[in-house]
Amino acid sequence: MSFLSTIHWVVWKDLISEWRTRETISSMLFFALIVILVFSFSFAMDQDAARQLIAGIIWIAFTFTGIIGIGKSFTSELQNDCIESLQMSPVPKGAIYLGKVTANFLFMFAVEILLFPLFVIFFNLEVVEAIGMLFLVFFLATLGLSAVGTLFSALTVQIRAREVMLPVLLLPLAVPVMIAAVEATRGTLNGDPYEFYSQWLHLLVIFDIIFTVISFWLFEFILDA
Amino acid sequence: MSAIQVTSLSKAYGFYRIFEDVSFAIQPGTCFALFGPNGAGKTTLLRILATLQSPSEGQFTIFGQDGVDQRDAVRGILLFIAHGSHLYDELSATENLQFSLALRGQTPETSQLKRALDQTGIGAYGNLKIRQFSAGMKKRLSLAKAILAQPKLLLLDEPYNALDDGGVIITNQLIGDTMNRGGTVVMTTHDRNKAAHIATEGGILQAGQLQLLSPEQLQTHVLS
Repeated sequence: MSFLSTIHWVVWKDLISEWRTRETISSMLFFALIVILVFSFSFAMDQDAARQLIAGIIWIAFTFTGIIGIGKSFTSELQNDCIESLQMSPVPKGAIYLGKVTANFLFMFAVEILLFPLFVIFFNLEVVEAIGMLFLVFFLATLGLSAVGTLFSALTVQIRAREVMLPVLLLPLAVPVMIAAVEATRGTLNGDPYEFYSQWLHLLVIFDIIFTVISFWLFEFILDA
Repeated sequence: MSAIQVTSLSKAYGFYRIFEDVSFAIQPGTCFALFGPNGAGKTTLLRILATLQSPSEGQFTIFGQDGVDQRDAVRGILLFIAHGSHLYDELSATENLQFSLALRGQTPETSQLKRALDQTGIGAYGNLKIRQFSAGMKKRLSLAKAILAQPKLLLLDEPYNALDDGGVIITNQLIGDTMNRGGTVVMTTHDRNKAAHIATEGGILQAGQLQLLSPEQLQTHVLS
């Protein structure tokens, strides 16, 4: 079976399981809605301050929402010891990793697309001209978070305190992606010329490549550990 | 070439030694039944052969492939039916078969899936989600996976648990078919009577040592 076919089957399995339970997406949306509401009320009196901070607020919501989804990515494999069948599978483990990254990316990106209009409404954002660039930033940053998050989800899944350990281990590594995402989002929302924030987009691309390549290589050892 | 060649295998968790210096060989076309009391290390030995755990010492080969250094090659020729069903609750029986076989590099036709489900007596439940399956039905679905996968080495951990008489017959048919096409079966079991119908070789793992049984001893043991 081809490498791509394995990726396809892993994505298919994760998507169909999620579609039938909606456990991950609903908990992600619920958490993100609370974050949006809390920040929205905090800045209700000062829309200027809100606009200054909106990029950070968006990425706090997206990152922590993403961690909820990523954390469930491998805990679902613990039911009926399914993780053992992944371990014993003779297919390249990198294909399983990329399948999981793709599924995590799709969950996160779908939630971001659903949530972003709420940010626009609650914080009175003007995004019509910047929407294409914004989604490029979301795409690149979400890819980076999914790439490194999937690896750490596999790493912590067998640990008893995995819900605590995943953010503790993941967030320090995700900080560069978050900073670049915040800066690029701020530049885009402010309507700055592309040259002013393009270096942050380049940084996101570099992080995506580094995180994906290293995680792809390490995944086999982590799954078999 | 032996199907399984185990040499001086030991497993320890810290200072606690599960078993020590275990050596044996199993030939193709045979069924090896591993007996022993609870906690003797039967499942641990099976998990090592399944490449899910590493031995503390010693080595083993599966059809000539080193079980540690050539792990991926070994994984391609074995199937392990363990205590955990390895089935996803939200997928149907058919979808579970499709997915688990895809992870083995196999893409069976729908008619083959249906036939395997029929053979194991759960053909009517192909579209039912696993969360609605009983333990026995899950076991039968694992047998259907083995029928489709046709592994050279079939590892069965307590295969008769949760199965009714019909399920036991299907299990023994599967074991017989595997042996007939030159494959090898290793199973752990406490159910000596059921194993008596099918096992050709056996051993007792006890107090960290494996005592191999001759065919006569095996029959004496299972009938005692």
